[in-house]
Amino acid sequence: MVKVTILPQREVREVEASTVAQLLRGLGLHRDAHLVVRREQILTGDVRLTEDDEVEILPVISGGRA
Amino acid sequence: MHCHRCRRTANVEIRRSRIAFCAACYPEWFHEQVENRIRHERMFGKTERVLVAVSGGKDSLALWYALKHLGYQADGMYIRLGIGDYSRRSQARCEAFAEKWGLTLHQVDLKEDEGFEVPDLREARSGKPCAACGAVKRYHFNRLAADLGYEVVATGHNLDDEAATLFGNIVHWNVDYLGRQGPVLESTHPKLVRKVKPLYRLSERETAAYCVISRIDYIIEECPMARGAKSLAYKDMLNTLEEQQPGAKHRFVVGFLKEGRRALSENGFDPATDLHECERCGQPTTNRVCSYCALAERGRRKVIQLEARYAGLK
Repeated sequence: MVKVTILPQREVREVEASTVAQLLRGLGLHRDAHLVVRREQILTGDVRLTEDDEVEILPVISGGRA
Repeated sequence: MHCHRCRRTANVEIRRSRIAFCAACYPEWFHEQVENRIRHERMFGKTERVLVAVSGGKDSLALWYALKHLGYQADGMYIRLGIGDYSRRSQARCEAFAEKWGLTLHQVDLKEDEGFEVPDLREARSGKPCAACGAVKRYHFNRLAADLGYEVVATGHNLDDEAATLFGNIVHWNVDYLGRQGPVLESTHPKLVRKVKPLYRLSERETAAYCVISRIDYIIEECPMARGAKSLAYKDMLNTLEEQQPGAKHRFVVGFLKEGRRALSENGFDPATDLHECERCGQPTTNRVCSYCALAERGRRKVIQLEARYAGLK
């Protein structure tokens, strides 16, 4: 299980996923609306994840702007 | 996945172009995109003074940082909107950024200077002040830029913002708004400063990645007043489409600017050229009293009502 911290609330989840793209899909999150970061490095969708991995998910959508 | 330039392990993928960059090459690509748009759309030159509208969020700080990096004369402007703790933290981010890089930051305080705050402008029907907040910001950015002699106001609107606005204007068939949507809004009055959007072809994910890589400390959470805003629903729909068709948002916006807008201008829309000065504040408007003065009056009335209610409770 990959340990995931979802910002900005820092909600912690444990998710089964072998790649970054699969992780986002598993959480029902759009790839274009999030960045996945591991040890301060942004990861591309194809990066393989292991059970010991800890990643952060950063939402990038801002709204309400007129 | 490997970097398109140096073949090292990539960090940021640009799915619409089927390329990716490592953390070292990505800022270089980002700067090229910004510079290309500024030149191609003839937004401004290195000798012109640019006022960047900053909110403490990723887009405006990324824009300010990129413009300084590219050698433009860019100062910032922040409006204290009075949205509780969110505004205080946004202001702190902007002030810290300006101080860190030795940049000039102008500020307007709505409460002190105008006697109301954005939460006082909530619409009765939706309970949201987003449209009014946008009008307040546009008014003050323009007014300050004109008063201080800036040639241009630059905002951090990105590809997702432009796609969501375009989608909303099509859903509601706001033909005049559609006719005016674009990366450059020319001045049509001596007191109206031209507006530009140098990031309009870069996605939110790309500006966020630029901030993370450049260690720009921005406010991550969205404005609490925007929760449930229509623009967020449009962005979500467009990202669902993008998931299946990478590049859809880009094609939607760029295609509209190339083809759709031309068709609109041939058939005529209101380009807001018939401007005169508001009889209260002197700023350009198509009406007798500008929409900002009407909003400000509504906000001040709300403040008086709330104060009277609190006085009655004591």
